[in-house]
Amino acid sequence: MVLKVFRWGPGTHERLQKYWVRARQGMTVLDALVQVQRNSDPTLAFRYACRVGMCGSCGMVINGRERWACRTLLSELPRGAVTLRPLYNFPLIRDLVVDMTPLRDKMLAVKAVFVPLRRYTDEGSFAQVGSGSRERQTIDRAVECIGCGMCMSACTMVGHDARFPGPAALNRVFTLQRDSRDAAHTERGGMLLGEDVLARCHGQGNCTDVCPMEISPTDSILALRRRAVLRLFGITR
Amino acid sequence: MRDRKTLRRRGGSLEAWRDTKAGMWAWLLQRVAALGLIAVIALHLHNPFVRPVQAALLGLVLFHGVLGLRSIVLDFGWPARWHRLLLLLAVLAAAAAFVLVWKWRWY
Repeated sequence: MVLKVFRWGPGTHERLQKYWVRARQGMTVLDALVQVQRNSDPTLAFRYACRVGMCGSCGMVINGRERWACRTLLSELPRGAVTLRPLYNFPLIRDLVVDMTPLRDKMLAVKAVFVPLRRYTDEGSFAQVGSGSRERQTIDRAVECIGCGMCMSACTMVGHDARFPGPAALNRVFTLQRDSRDAAHTERGGMLLGEDVLARCHGQGNCTDVCPMEISPTDSILALRRRAVLRLFGITR
Repeated sequence: MRDRKTLRRRGGSLEAWRDTKAGMWAWLLQRVAALGLIAVIALHLHNPFVRPVQAALLGLVLFHGVLGLRSIVLDFGWPARWHRLLLLLAVLAAAAAFVLVWKWRWY
């Protein structure tokens, strides 16, 4: 099995470097990368943590599609060389490792953080949203985001418009806008109507197709847009 | 200061297109149909009685329109995971409508 791995570091030219890996049954792309690093090239940089499909830190572009390396079996990829690149739309640090700062910056830019209502800020005062409640069910899938950044890599609009918050941040905003304990609905609602926010999503669905947690940020964005239109016409706050 | 080199998906490479999703194709084809319409409408205004131009105009209008309907139903809350099915339905609906209208001799 041949791996063609994107290599780049500050001060060097980018290139695809070939590595030969002895593929075994049940071997994942991450296993192959670890084998290369241990046996033939200790300078190869890539990121991983849990190895079992929970943390999302091994997200990369495998044969043109965003996937997590730890859950991608070599046997499920088409025959031929496997091309590995770092996530798109994130600044590179080295080889397959990217700087995830834009994900955090975009979250902050659209206030994708929980702002509790005043009555819940006192010590000992908290609200419960039952797991079976409609409020919880509406956002049930969307809250599972692990912040891997694959959706931001797959989104063409993130690549074209630096001010577009992208699927992950807007999916987070969707969960907050539907949270009855949150105090910033109105503030975020005004922001969402901006030219580079909800209107910039073209509904291509690339984010939904690559999300390893099977979240649909497209649906979250469209739900926010429906609410924003009602707000625009004064039907809802 | 650290180099902020960032990779972007480049349309010029085969690898970038290898895994293009149904929803992306739907979006792209609708835009291409719109560009095609501009050219065909100009030709049609120049001479409305050229059959191939009439066929191209009808085909592009239907294709562009059904893909627009697809966008509208997504806007109204149909699940985005139905991309493939919606694209297939849009293409089939456009083809069926084309055959029906083209076979209907109104003059």
